[in-house]
Amino acid sequence: MMLARVADSLYWLGRYAERAEHLSRLAVVMLNAALDQTDAAAARIALAAVGQPPLDGGEALDAAKLLVLDRNNSISAVSSLASARENARQIRDQITTESWERLNILYLRATGVGAEAAFASDPADFLQRIIADLHQFKGAAEATMSHGDGWRFMLTGVYIERAQLIARLLKVCFDEATPVDDHVALVGLLRMACALEPYLRAYTADIDARNILEFLMFDQDFPRSVRFSTERMQECLDHLSGGHEPGRHDPLRLAGRLNAKLAYADIDEVETGGAGALLTAVSAECSAIHAAIWETFVAYPLETRLPA
Amino acid sequence: MFAPGGLTRANYRLLDQDIQALGAQALADRQKTLERSFLLQGITFTVYGAGSTTERIIPTDLFPRIIPAAEWAKIEAGLIQRLAALNLFLADIYGDQRILADGVVPRDLILGSPAYRRQMKHLFVPNGAYVNVCGSDLIRDTHGEFLVLEDNLRVPSGVSYMLANRDAARRTFPHTFREARVRSVERYPDLLLSTLKSMADRSNPQVVVLTPGVYNSAYYEHAYLARLMGVPLVEGRDLAVHDNLVYMRTTAGLRRVDVIYRRVDDDFVDPLAFRSDSALGVAGLFNAYRAGQVTICNAPGTGVADDKAVYAYVPAIIRYYLDQDAILPNVKTFLCRERAELSHVLANLDSLVVKAVGASGGYGMLVGPHASAVEREAFAEQLRANPDNYIAQPTIQLSTAPCLVDGRIEPRHVDLRPFILSGEKVVVTPGALTRVALRRGSLVVNSSQGGGSKDTWVLAGQDGDAP
Repeated sequence: MMLARVADSLYWLGRYAERAEHLSRLAVVMLNAALDQTDAAAARIALAAVGQPPLDGGEALDAAKLLVLDRNNSISAVSSLASARENARQIRDQITTESWERLNILYLRATGVGAEAAFASDPADFLQRIIADLHQFKGAAEATMSHGDGWRFMLTGVYIERAQLIARLLKVCFDEATPVDDHVALVGLLRMACALEPYLRAYTADIDARNILEFLMFDQDFPRSVRFSTERMQECLDHLSGGHEPGRHDPLRLAGRLNAKLAYADIDEVETGGAGALLTAVSAECSAIHAAIWETFVAYPLETRLPA
Repeated sequence: MFAPGGLTRANYRLLDQDIQALGAQALADRQKTLERSFLLQGITFTVYGAGSTTERIIPTDLFPRIIPAAEWAKIEAGLIQRLAALNLFLADIYGDQRILADGVVPRDLILGSPAYRRQMKHLFVPNGAYVNVCGSDLIRDTHGEFLVLEDNLRVPSGVSYMLANRDAARRTFPHTFREARVRSVERYPDLLLSTLKSMADRSNPQVVVLTPGVYNSAYYEHAYLARLMGVPLVEGRDLAVHDNLVYMRTTAGLRRVDVIYRRVDDDFVDPLAFRSDSALGVAGLFNAYRAGQVTICNAPGTGVADDKAVYAYVPAIIRYYLDQDAILPNVKTFLCRERAELSHVLANLDSLVVKAVGASGGYGMLVGPHASAVEREAFAEQLRANPDNYIAQPTIQLSTAPCLVDGRIEPRHVDLRPFILSGEKVVVTPGALTRVALRRGSLVVNSSQGGGSKDTWVLAGQDGDAP
């Protein structure tokens, strides 16, 4: 049993934490690309992958600032961290001290007075630490929180956000007039999805657009593939729905349908038909699941849910 | 800490040795560690300024204040007696009003008070416990005697600091803490929970903590207590009333609520019963309460008994209901509504503190010794025009305790806020929040005005109080 408002906050906590991590990682990859002068291309992908217009001049450092430090940019990593922490604060009694402290320390450091200077002196280090701290937060939460409904709402948020972010990143790379196909850019894409090492293990150092698409879309074991995310989403919603028969607008039914679509998709068909259609469907379905969670668990009409 | 003549009091001797052994640098380091740990835990209150909000920790002093067993025994007995009488008083004025009929307390003072809630008249309150959580403010006068300065019967706060300070002080002086046989305050959350449960008439009741929300300055404490009691922390929007039953919205539908430990003021409990412009409350909650389907703790309307003028009558109230003398005395208080006392006050304005009855936080107040002749004359004018609205008290020197200020140990004025729980039983937690006026010479201990706090160690007696 948990309060509807609390479930909603946990869900958003998961989403924002995931978003902060993704944005930080995009920025790191972009900055590292500057070392071999491919940062303009990397910046274009990174910005487009989170719905930001391209920057004039295209300095990687400016783009990184926009994605990470800009408090006026509502999706920037620090904005996301602030929102994650604000949601956590509202449900402070529901998360363990261990996980709260990780998040709070991270928030204080990333938004405190020294943050701008720390970023200026070594941006990549600053970002790596944010990512490492977020891993600590997730690890502490995993290790100390009860894996009940609250945990599942948080995970649902994490995986919905992740599926949408990865789908969007793939769409920018593969659904355009000029799909990404040069080696450096493809490696950059794998890094942006934190997938380089697992990919190499699965496919060896054969950097190939089709394999990458297959890996990031359909791999069942890699935690950042779209398929992996939708599967976890379905698992969580299955528990949360408590064995009810799924209704028409039930989030579980929507998640199950999306998951089946990915489970039975064929990479050859996807490739010939263009990945765009499937990726667009993933985004749309995730939005529908998001709305259905709100309707079913949080903002339901009173009269329908009185105790028997 | 020190007796007249500069000798260390017996109860402080161990601590004194510990402080000497640590030395200035180690103390300063520990102070820093302590402040950082508060910030990281989020033990903060929020200060709202123009355009920006900042979170600050309430400054916490490293040195515990130590109260010997015998002194505590008297405080404890005095607090239990006082709360018992005040609960009887509340039951009476919201019942048959015998004390008003007998002329012990003036009728107009009670019925005319803005904190009097007509809605509470003849409403059944389980155990007669109107005040379930009380945080009285005590001070220690020049003779070393504890006096009650104020009864906080509405929504007293600060208990989370008592618990957090204990954690910190125990880590700072582990040796002294072990040796001194300090009584534990750790059971406060479960005692609070059983107090709240004892206020329900269903078995296995659902208790919740009602907070105004994350923007309230005491939000940390609300969340802290909910977490330690293991009960939901709800906001008004999480609750709904249907057919006089109170429910909370959960992800699995609506769930019955039996006891609400509310940390919102009376005015914001129910817009239908009290302030109609409040968005914080729950429409229909008071009706459900009146119907006995839910218990609100503390009961609405308890504020009438901690009014500054009613305060002066508390010794008489204790005598009236319990036929006993007050164990803990009041600070001498002159009621300007009484003609004789008014002329005394007017004649001695330069040595008295005059306070408006309804105000708090230092507003509408004259500190005679610090005021100019012109200010005193202007205030005397107001006094004569509306004497009912004022009380006066002698200027009291609060006692001091040593504090670490900028690396030096200096005396600062302190008061004492113990916490008393009352449901089926009355329990005083053996510990308290000691509030500290951090500016040199200042007597203001409120956290909103630069006050801080320190841990308070109540020592176990020879007869083996539970440590």
